[in-house]
Amino acid sequence: MNKRMRSLHRSMGAIVAIFVLMLATTGILLNHTSDLDLDKQYLTSDWLLNHYGINNVDADTVYLLDRHTISQFGTQVFVDATPVTQSELAILGGIIIDDLMVLATEDALLLFTPEGEFIERMGESVGVPSMIQNIGLFHGDPVVQTRNGMWRSDFMLDQWEQLSLNGVGWSEPQAMPTSVKDELSTFFRGKGVTIERVILDIHNGRILGQYGAWFADLVGGLLVLISLTGLWLWGRRRL
Amino acid sequence: MQKYRYTLRALLFISLILSSLAVSARGVYQTDQDFLTEAFNSSVPKSKVVWVKGELAKMIKTILGHNYAGLRIRYWRDPQRSVWILEEIGKEKPITFGIVIADNKIAAIKVLAFRESRGGEIRHPAFTLQFQQAQLDNMQLDRHIDGVSGATLSVRAMTVVARLALYLDNFTG
Repeated sequence: MNKRMRSLHRSMGAIVAIFVLMLATTGILLNHTSDLDLDKQYLTSDWLLNHYGINNVDADTVYLLDRHTISQFGTQVFVDATPVTQSELAILGGIIIDDLMVLATEDALLLFTPEGEFIERMGESVGVPSMIQNIGLFHGDPVVQTRNGMWRSDFMLDQWEQLSLNGVGWSEPQAMPTSVKDELSTFFRGKGVTIERVILDIHNGRILGQYGAWFADLVGGLLVLISLTGLWLWGRRRL
Repeated sequence: MQKYRYTLRALLFISLILSSLAVSARGVYQTDQDFLTEAFNSSVPKSKVVWVKGELAKMIKTILGHNYAGLRIRYWRDPQRSVWILEEIGKEKPITFGIVIADNKIAAIKVLAFRESRGGEIRHPAFTLQFQQAQLDNMQLDRHIDGVSGATLSVRAMTVVARLALYLDNFTG
């Protein structure tokens, strides 16, 4: 009986030791979160952020214009990491003319300052051709390709002539620069999850979600058992 | 059992009708181009722009309660009238309004595009007729506009846009 109890005590000890170490380490860290600035540091691991339900941000479309990154998430249009305007329709391309940044959607042109401030939306009512498919530049002049042919204008964008041109530099979607992606991630996620929160969740088992609490109960139960078997063995030795 | 089945079918039918009504409030009711053609009897003048800066920007902020979403506003004017196509957010999404101003009074106001899920009732003439001949009195409309139940924010959007168009007509006139 004594031998069997000692064997059980030893096995439970090995299992529980791992968790005791984890609890002790995380407990000590939690006691000093302010000293170690753990409440001011944020998670950067995508895997852990996904675990917390804060998923990656993927733009529907991205264009690089001059030094700015134009992206669209649903109806929201961003210049770099700043939301600038809404567009129900997808951005199909963009160009820079003079001091204007011009984005094209199927039925309108969206105008911005070089700093990315929204100026206005120009549609069919001010002479912009409809059913736009792409926008580009031909010797510095804006050109749009529509389902009804190709149209060229000047920097005023309010008078368009239909023609056919070769050698137009069409706007093409690009990959989002990592720096802007990081800024947009911060925009969508806020600052995210603190290291303190992760340590606390490891400490109380909640890092494993709904099963975490049960797991912590199991470890707690093992600790009770190991204490009882230890006391029993100690008592037997004294006898 | 048969009775329950009929009740279930009736409930399903009613909910389908209600959901289709809710969806039908969204949409483009009239294109900007069609509104202008109607307002100017087919001879639409060339558009003009007014830049939102300085004192004008401050006044617009006072009227809307926030900055205008754009650096310039486009409008159309002939000797009889000016026409404005303006957007204002109802609850979450912008509503596009077309406003015709003649003699410093509202000659017509219409919802050209509605994108919210609720509040589309403001597009009906029974509501918009209240704005007919309204003018500015100490930066407010000279009359009370009756609200629409469940469309408070859309009503507010139309009211501030009406005030804005009247102010801009006067500013640019």
